[in-house]
Amino acid sequence: MKKGFRFYIALWGAKAGTIILKLFRRNATFFPGKFALKICPDFIGKIGKPKTIVAVTGTNGKTTVCNMTEDILRDNGYQFIDNKYGSNIDAGVATTLIGGASITGKAKKDLAVLEVDERSAPKIYPYLTPTYLVCTNLFRDSLMRNAHTEFISSLLTKYIPKETTLILNGDDLITSNIAPENKRIYFGIDRLKTDGDKCINIARDIIVCPKCNTKLVYDYVRYNHIGRAHCPKCDFKSPDIDYLATSLDLENMKMALKHGDTEEIYDLISDNIINIYNIVTVITILKTLGLTCTQINESLKKQKIVDTRYSEEMVDGIKVITHLAKGMNPIACSRVFDYTRKYKGNKAVIVILDDLHEAANGSENTAWQYDTDYEFLNDESIKQIIIAGARYLDGLVRLEIAGIPKDKIVYQRDELSAVDKLKLDGIETVFVLHDLYSIELKNAIKHKVEIMIKNSEREKEEKGE
Amino acid sequence: MKIEILFPEFCNLYGDMYNMKYLKMCMPEAEFIETALDDVPAFTKEDVNMIYLGPMTEKTQEKVIARLKPYKNKIEELINKNVVFLFTGNALEVLGKYIENEDGSKIDAVGIFDVYSKRDMMHRHNSFLIGKYEDIEMIGFKSQFTMMYGDNKDSYFVEVEKGIGINKESKLEGIKKNNFIGTYIIGPILIQNPLFTKKLIKAMGAKEDTLVFEQDLMAAYEERLKELKKL
Repeated sequence: MKKGFRFYIALWGAKAGTIILKLFRRNATFFPGKFALKICPDFIGKIGKPKTIVAVTGTNGKTTVCNMTEDILRDNGYQFIDNKYGSNIDAGVATTLIGGASITGKAKKDLAVLEVDERSAPKIYPYLTPTYLVCTNLFRDSLMRNAHTEFISSLLTKYIPKETTLILNGDDLITSNIAPENKRIYFGIDRLKTDGDKCINIARDIIVCPKCNTKLVYDYVRYNHIGRAHCPKCDFKSPDIDYLATSLDLENMKMALKHGDTEEIYDLISDNIINIYNIVTVITILKTLGLTCTQINESLKKQKIVDTRYSEEMVDGIKVITHLAKGMNPIACSRVFDYTRKYKGNKAVIVILDDLHEAANGSENTAWQYDTDYEFLNDESIKQIIIAGARYLDGLVRLEIAGIPKDKIVYQRDELSAVDKLKLDGIETVFVLHDLYSIELKNAIKHKVEIMIKNSEREKEEKGE
Repeated sequence: MKIEILFPEFCNLYGDMYNMKYLKMCMPEAEFIETALDDVPAFTKEDVNMIYLGPMTEKTQEKVIARLKPYKNKIEELINKNVVFLFTGNALEVLGKYIENEDGSKIDAVGIFDVYSKRDMMHRHNSFLIGKYEDIEMIGFKSQFTMMYGDNKDSYFVEVEKGIGINKESKLEGIKKNNFIGTYIIGPILIQNPLFTKKLIKAMGAKEDTLVFEQDLMAAYEERLKELKKL
């Protein structure tokens, strides 16, 4: 693509802007790209790009997959550009490419790992052809932005360049069918003991065969539409998996990964199924890029899920777990609720899911709460649920409709005061489930819970209990 | 009492199915019939007190139109006989004259109401709504790719105080004809509007209109109303 005057004005202006923003200690992760696209709308097409581009998209897991992939590549001495600290829409991608280009607009590195928002496909893929495009999964997401999976999957199919090789979740029948003409590599996890015969989730977005409308027969269901299925009438079925995780050993935190005739053993750094999917995705990307099992696993062992997403701490014999549950994202929240109920021992759960971002623009549309499996919190092992925030009354109603007895629920507008009502007797774990935009609040709640645990232990000691 | 839920395997977006789950909790004696897209609708074979259709994807709209077209006369007959209908989100569009795509192509719809809708898939509209329905205040949320056009001044559902009607220039939301109610409001409309739910249950002919968790629903409704009025 010919560069032209506008391109250079955009590039040099953006580079100058980056320097100025950095001088003022401001994040230069979005505005340089936004400026460049304003001056030169096809800037992404014109700027030099690395020879190999790995783009990662999908509803859930793309940030974790990118972070882990980048950390392992870095640990193995790879040089690359990424948008880890930037946005995942067109302006963020443009900013990353600007940072990775010389003053004449040539790419300085040969590899890029880019997280790409799936809704941004029409603004990115006409100008950038990923060598590999990874799709982690496609689920119901923010209904206000992403509407439904049919809309997102059709956007991807329409805009993904034909030359791109896809790396897809083969256990997800929606993801595995995007851009059907493209070359593809599938990853997946073999049948687990916990898989069932029928879906117990509220949201299930592929029930009939997309080819002939016949009701699909599920061989097994893991959650929502994740599992394996076939059409009893035509040839539609879940694809054969190229990288298949088998023999998940959660006691020893190991798994085997089958690829062709080879089987390799990898360490697991999480026992949560969503993170195991993330690990399998990362390994598939890295194997495709040519890394060996040893290279991957030695670095994988050093990885940790970032604290803003998951943390656990033992305080005087009670575990405090914070877990990100992205508000307005029903499947992400349902997965976290499921993990919480299945976690061993008696639990108290603090739920802070108001989308403060939405609240700032008016009032949050809580329709998503009724696509979310709050019913999972209706479990004998969950002794108390504290729901707080501006939407606390909506939360109370949702929990009651989920069948949770009102005497188990504390509901209050002010989050920190609500935590005062936490009952620790007989509790082994306190879960703090929080939204992406409430990290500071989550930290304050966690701190308060820890103080309450310490005080309660001190009181017990003083009483000689 | 019989309530028919049309095509729940497809028409179940945005948590709207909880309108029916909640109604089931409030009316434990009622029979809920779930009709799959391949099944013959129960309303063609027997008397039902209410028919519900929830929001769906754009491709599904075409399937639903094809399925309901042969029953156009029957649906009109039931509307005239005061059977309760609740169509939420873009379900209402399937009963209009047509749905127009961005390229100008048109999908013929069932043609019961003299309205049509236009899609704009890259510009999703999101808003909240407060308005009057008979003697009560309604609240709701909209999230849609389409706007509806046509004259609904004699057949609207809600007179909008804040928010938009069937399109950005309109203050008249949805369609109401006898006991047929079609609205672009999505999500748990019956849970968020307990006063409306009571009216709906009465319209079906039920003697008892006490709601499950009524006090808590009312508290949430009043809080939300107060909050939305401030905006």
